[in-house]
Amino acid sequence: MNCKELVYLLNDYIDGTMEEHLRQEFSVHIDLCEPCLNFLKTYDKTRVLCRQILLEEIPEEVRSRLKTFVLQKAREHHREIEKYLERAARERREQVADILRAYLANQLSPTMDVLFRAHHDRCETCGAFLRGIEGGKAITAAPPDIEEHIAEFLDALPPGEVPTLP
Amino acid sequence: MPAERLLDDSVLLEELRKGTPESVENLFDRFHAKIYSLAMSILKNESDAEEATQDVFLTVVQKAHTFKGNSALYSWIYRICVNTCLMRLRGKRRGETVSIEEFMPVFTEDGMHASLIDDWSKEVERKALDKELGQVIQRFTGDLSEKYRVVFVLSDVEGLSNEETAQILGLTVPAVKSRLHRARLYLRERLTRYLREGKTV
Repeated sequence: MNCKELVYLLNDYIDGTMEEHLRQEFSVHIDLCEPCLNFLKTYDKTRVLCRQILLEEIPEEVRSRLKTFVLQKAREHHREIEKYLERAARERREQVADILRAYLANQLSPTMDVLFRAHHDRCETCGAFLRGIEGGKAITAAPPDIEEHIAEFLDALPPGEVPTLP
Repeated sequence: MPAERLLDDSVLLEELRKGTPESVENLFDRFHAKIYSLAMSILKNESDAEEATQDVFLTVVQKAHTFKGNSALYSWIYRICVNTCLMRLRGKRRGETVSIEEFMPVFTEDGMHASLIDDWSKEVERKALDKELGQVIQRFTGDLSEKYRVVFVLSDVEGLSNEETAQILGLTVPAVKSRLHRARLYLRERLTRYLREGKTV
């Protein structure tokens, strides 16, 4: 091993991943070569010194300013998500109510009509509910599971088709 | 919710997704010192580091639901920090960095050191708390191009293993080791010239 090869391998030597036969050659060389020993010492010192100097402590005022800011923004973020979810739920409730009204008035779009008829016979819960409103029950609030089923029909509509006739 | 439970990464993430205030506070308390230090080492500027730290936490809070859990939580957060800092550097179009090649060791044809190699490792211990030396080291690392600086900061300053650094940066371990080695060679040589020439740098 010459000096150039030794310098090339310094990283492996320091992190302990050097193969045994290389480590032996490394030791033999460095015992006899002062420049390489000096190179090793200063290479290692560079690493240690930079760590001491570059590890930055956060100043207390920056820390507390950051903490206030982050907590506040996180609260705002979650409030917005909640508002969005509430709005989405409200819109879905209204849409389902519209669809149910259209169902009673025979105003469903062709695909929606097919889906409704098939589902009416297949799903007990929805079937009972639909028979109830056909019999004159108010349709303001569909129970959550029925709302869920009807909302699924919306995803099944072909692109461009609106669920109710104009 | 007892505070210790939040120390478990998966519990912390679950609570972050729900948006509980304790989870955000716990996240901040656990990571802010590391994130700030990392941002400071990459950006070399206090107000940039503060803004980058803000951005990192907001990204983590907003993206908690997208974290897949196929790496450790801290490594995901470090990656967000590195990316945030690199974006800022790109936005800034800093002055040019020095060429690392100028500071690589030189050898004779038969592979011997071509210049005198002094041992300044003892001498520098007396100077370790010297303010000027601190500033000089800040400048030398600042002169490194990002490619080398980020690896050097994660591995040698933050003390992560080569494997951890590789995972955070999406590099192979040999690539990390090679960049780290070159960064150290560069810094060693700049320190050597600085100490040899005194204050003429």
